[in-house]
Amino acid sequence: MVAAQTAISEVDGAGGRLIYRGGYLIEDLVPCAGFEETAYLLWHGELPNRSQLDAMRQDMVHARKLNDAARGALLAADPSTDPMDMLRTALSAQGSTPTISKPSPADALALTAVVPTIVAGAYRRRQRRDLIDPRDDLGHAANLLWMMDGKEPATERTHWVDTYLTLLADHGLNASTFTARVVASTGSDMTSCVVAAVGALKGPAHGGATYAARSMLDAIGSLENVDTYMEEQHAKHARFPGFGHRVYRTYDPRAKILRELAKTADPKLYQLAAHTEEVALKILHDAHPERPNATNVDFWASVVLTGAGIPKELFTCLFAASRVAGWTAHVLESQEDLRIIRPASQWVGPQPGKKPEPLDKR
Amino acid sequence: MPNSEYVPGLEGIVAAQTEISLVDGANGRLVYRGYVIADLAEDMSFEEVAHLFWHGRLPTRAELDGLAAELSESRNLTDAAATALAAIQSDADPMDVLRSIVSVQGITHRLQKPSLAAAIHATASFPTILAAFHRRRQGLEIVKPRAGLGHAANYLYMLNGQESPPELVRALNTYLVLLADHGMNASTFTARVIASTDSDLASCLVGAIGALKGPAHGGAPSAVLDQLEQIGTPENAERWMRDARKRKERFMGFGHRVYRTYDPRAKILKAMCERLNPKFFALASKVEETALAILHEEHPERPQATNVEFYSAGVLQAIGLPKDLFPPTFAVARVAGWTAHVLEQAAHNRLIRPQSEYIGPEPRKPVPLAERG
Repeated sequence: MVAAQTAISEVDGAGGRLIYRGGYLIEDLVPCAGFEETAYLLWHGELPNRSQLDAMRQDMVHARKLNDAARGALLAADPSTDPMDMLRTALSAQGSTPTISKPSPADALALTAVVPTIVAGAYRRRQRRDLIDPRDDLGHAANLLWMMDGKEPATERTHWVDTYLTLLADHGLNASTFTARVVASTGSDMTSCVVAAVGALKGPAHGGATYAARSMLDAIGSLENVDTYMEEQHAKHARFPGFGHRVYRTYDPRAKILRELAKTADPKLYQLAAHTEEVALKILHDAHPERPNATNVDFWASVVLTGAGIPKELFTCLFAASRVAGWTAHVLESQEDLRIIRPASQWVGPQPGKKPEPLDKR
Repeated sequence: MPNSEYVPGLEGIVAAQTEISLVDGANGRLVYRGYVIADLAEDMSFEEVAHLFWHGRLPTRAELDGLAAELSESRNLTDAAATALAAIQSDADPMDVLRSIVSVQGITHRLQKPSLAAAIHATASFPTILAAFHRRRQGLEIVKPRAGLGHAANYLYMLNGQESPPELVRALNTYLVLLADHGMNASTFTARVIASTDSDLASCLVGAIGALKGPAHGGAPSAVLDQLEQIGTPENAERWMRDARKRKERFMGFGHRVYRTYDPRAKILKAMCERLNPKFFALASKVEETALAILHEEHPERPQATNVEFYSAGVLQAIGLPKDLFPPTFAVARVAGWTAHVLEQAAHNRLIRPQSEYIGPEPRKPVPLAERG
């Protein structure tokens, strides 16, 4: 069922291509544009020139700061709270306003800018340490790492995170993006759409696979355990996290890029992951020779993010930090022809018309 | 693919099977788990209807007492919620406050499957959140819930700091029963889509509140009352409304997709308005009559279309709620339905993920930053 027409992105599963707005293939875009430029592209339909990019970065500097409501929400929560719950809550609080406003590109920028501040804040809270304010002279990915550690990150680390954020920024009409569009369809505001999308991404069937892939690698532990572990899991009919997806019939183009990065981001974990991938694909192929090669983006993302120093508890939040660019772009696009999304339901309950018994006769 | 046609608004597409409520538009019936709304509205408490949604049947006396006790225990704000509430600016839209504090109340240390206990807890807490915020923004002391009062009575008690007359409690209860569920509307669908990813109940509810905030769904709170205020008197209705049509202005509180006859909820609310809010009723009934006549002249093929928002405004006004609490009070009712739908979705789950149709350009190469004009 087609629920929306979109120019934001296209997942061409048969051709193994991910196309971002404007017609750019992901593998062409990544060497040329970072996350900020990609977000601009998704919102405005074209890559920014130098002065547009500078202006955007300036706007993001201001939008990165938490307001009192968001800071209050973040500090109110118990430190051991699920960081996705912190993100959902603090984003909602940050976006509390006296009146409802129609979603705008400024809203898209503000929400996208503030996600890393909240994610890093949730991380600091977990460690029972004080929050660190964003720095005006750092870009988006660098600020995330800065606010986590209070140390200026190495260029390479920033590059790994930035590439991850660029690769995950949109992916057709997935469940969280669809959620954002349903909320937008009622005429609601940008914050409501994004907060709803965060809630959908929290679901393990949608946003949890990177964490699960990393947990699997943790459970395997070392190269010599790979074969036994995977055989055992397969014998138990357990699924391999990081493998399989609905759409791509060839190797996921995002996984391909992350696989290359993983070699330098975390060489030791790369070795383990590469062998695990080999074994997993062989087992899966033997079991279902008709199915395509199915390493997905979550598998290699888990290695790259680990190499960048992101703890696995934050993986789903990092996914949100990336996808918020796409969510907001979809919400802006849907404003052009706003029509409430209200499907039908099929009644499978009792025949209408039975009379209620009074309380004392039940 | 079975169907790759673009269906705007997913109109007519069956997205879920449900036993919770049926909107029988052709016959003008709203049915809760087999019971027609007119048979429930006047005699059932909101708590009984919530039990009906969650368990599939009306409670016995003992079950109802048990549910009342559980609701009572869950009514207080958590410490985190109280702290977060104190940090929100007092001029915030109450829908934003509800969205944020429901999110705080639902925080967990690890993901939990939606449960009946979580549903009861969330349903219990909505009035407490709204009343606490409303008291605080007026500079008044927050009033804790009172054990022994029912759901509707507690809401009014926490808002006003004193018990309300039984007639008003009853009116609010009926409103909550009438609005508690309504098929696959946009907020309920939002909750089910979020549930379909195996997310938790708080995430589903926060999403649903966001959807209800949209004026096309939860209503523009002041729209009906503002328009009536502009019209001023029954005598003025005809002239004002004909002029409004010339200006292409919409009549607030009219039009819906589903009912082909008079909305059964509007009918009950209308009768309540006549009793409780005679001043509103005198003007509103004249405005309704005029609106329906004009709409009929313009589109004789369309059905009578007074919607639930129109007479809700008069009932909620009579109860003494400020206009900006109308939409979140709708949420106080609908959370019973949302939670029931989430539990139903979770019990038969499958990821809801429709497709999109790409209408952008064919692949081309990006221009490096330095070369962009």
